Amino acid sequence: MSAPVVETHRLAKTYGLAPVLREVDLRLLAGSGAFVVGGNGAGKSTLLRIIAGLEAPSDGRALVFGQDTRRLAARYRQRIGMMAHQSFLYPNLTARENLEFYAELYSVADPRASADLWLARVGLADFADTRVRAFSRGMEQRLSAARAMLAEPALLLLDEPFASLDHDGAEIIAALIRGAIERGASVIATAHAIPEIAGVEFAAFEISRGRLAERAHQEEVRRGGRLRSLLGR
Amino acid sequence: MLRKDLRLELRSGESTLALLALSMLVLVVLVFALDAGRVRSVDVAAGALWVALVFSGMLGANRALLAERDNGAIRGLLLSPLDPAMLYAAKLAAALIFMAVAEVGAVILMVLFFNLDFDASTARLAPILALGAIGFSALATLLSAITGRTRGGDMLLPILAVPIFVPALIAGVKASAAALAGAPLASMADWLRIMIAFDVLFVTAGYLLFEHVVGED
Repeated sequence: MSAPVVETHRLAKTYGLAPVLREVDLRLLAGSGAFVVGGNGAGKSTLLRIIAGLEAPSDGRALVFGQDTRRLAARYRQRIGMMAHQSFLYPNLTARENLEFYAELYSVADPRASADLWLARVGLADFADTRVRAFSRGMEQRLSAARAMLAEPALLLLDEPFASLDHDGAEIIAALIRGAIERGASVIATAHAIPEIAGVEFAAFEISRGRLAERAHQEEVRRGGRLRSLLGR
Repeated sequence: MLRKDLRLELRSGESTLALLALSMLVLVVLVFALDAGRVRSVDVAAGALWVALVFSGMLGANRALLAERDNGAIRGLLLSPLDPAMLYAAKLAAALIFMAVAEVGAVILMVLFFNLDFDASTARLAPILALGAIGFSALATLLSAITGRTRGGDMLLPILAVPIFVPALIAGVKASAAALAGAPLASMADWLRIMIAFDVLFVTAGYLLFEHVVGED
């Protein structure tokens, strides 16, 4: 059995006196996906930021590739892609320039070609030379997905990847998520409700008041229980 | 990283224009506020020049990191394999370039406003201003990584930066006044040593500490 890509042990996070996460235990194997659902303020984004190493937990610990996320070395950060509420994009750079910049940061071979490839994959090839500040929220979301995935990370953290997207945009992102899992990446995504996406197996967790509970496991998903395919499979 | 910062700046010109405008405003205010006839004009000019540089330096350092706060781009950088020390080096270089542009503009304005001449004494300002710019950019870039995370950080930066910069500021003003008065660089070696020590201290501190202060938690 392969080592887990993500593992959290009694993870807790408190802002001031307000607990956001409480004793969260999560385990994700290579090539598998999980959806974490919950309402606003449930702690979904905080959980992803801690797993990404952008925030430190108040208690417990999070391991990614077996490494504590509080001190993730560059070679492990190289293998993580994150799509957050904020796009991490520079409004005054064009779509291509943004992707080229991130491709260079991640030492992607031929950043220009990679940028153009991913612009085509997210349906923004015609907007390659448009500055991001002129993009709609949905277009920025798609470009943010391309930014997160262009280095083909082994772990994808997606914070509400379908927010602000129309049906076509959601299909594009769903196909990219499926593609990532098919090539062996692990995916943790958040959503307010279990989305109509699959084509691949997802474990589903619900987070409420900072506590995480598994609501559906991969076997249930395989039986076609709670998740339906957005891709019409 | 630096190429991206310069591209953003060339595209908007916001920082350079703001720095030049601020330098000019400070010099204009000081030239009218100070009675240059009662003290040596080179002393007043040197003081005015450094006041302009400190203010423009703070603006430059703030702006160098501001672009990374838009859309949370700083998180994208921290998540990437980029060494935070390299991020500091790039931001320091960007702040230094912005400040150097402001310095050139400020020196030209100072010479014009204080009726000085463009001669060898003005040229001797170059190493002094370069040392001052390195020290102040190093300090302000490090501090702006802290203050940028706080509410009212723009206010906090000068409160933290100026007192710490005082030793280098005194040395810079004294050396600049001596240079403008025609003294050779060798005669101001002690002042320059203070500035070099300040630069080494804060470039090293920034390089080592930046990763601990630039994060969000």
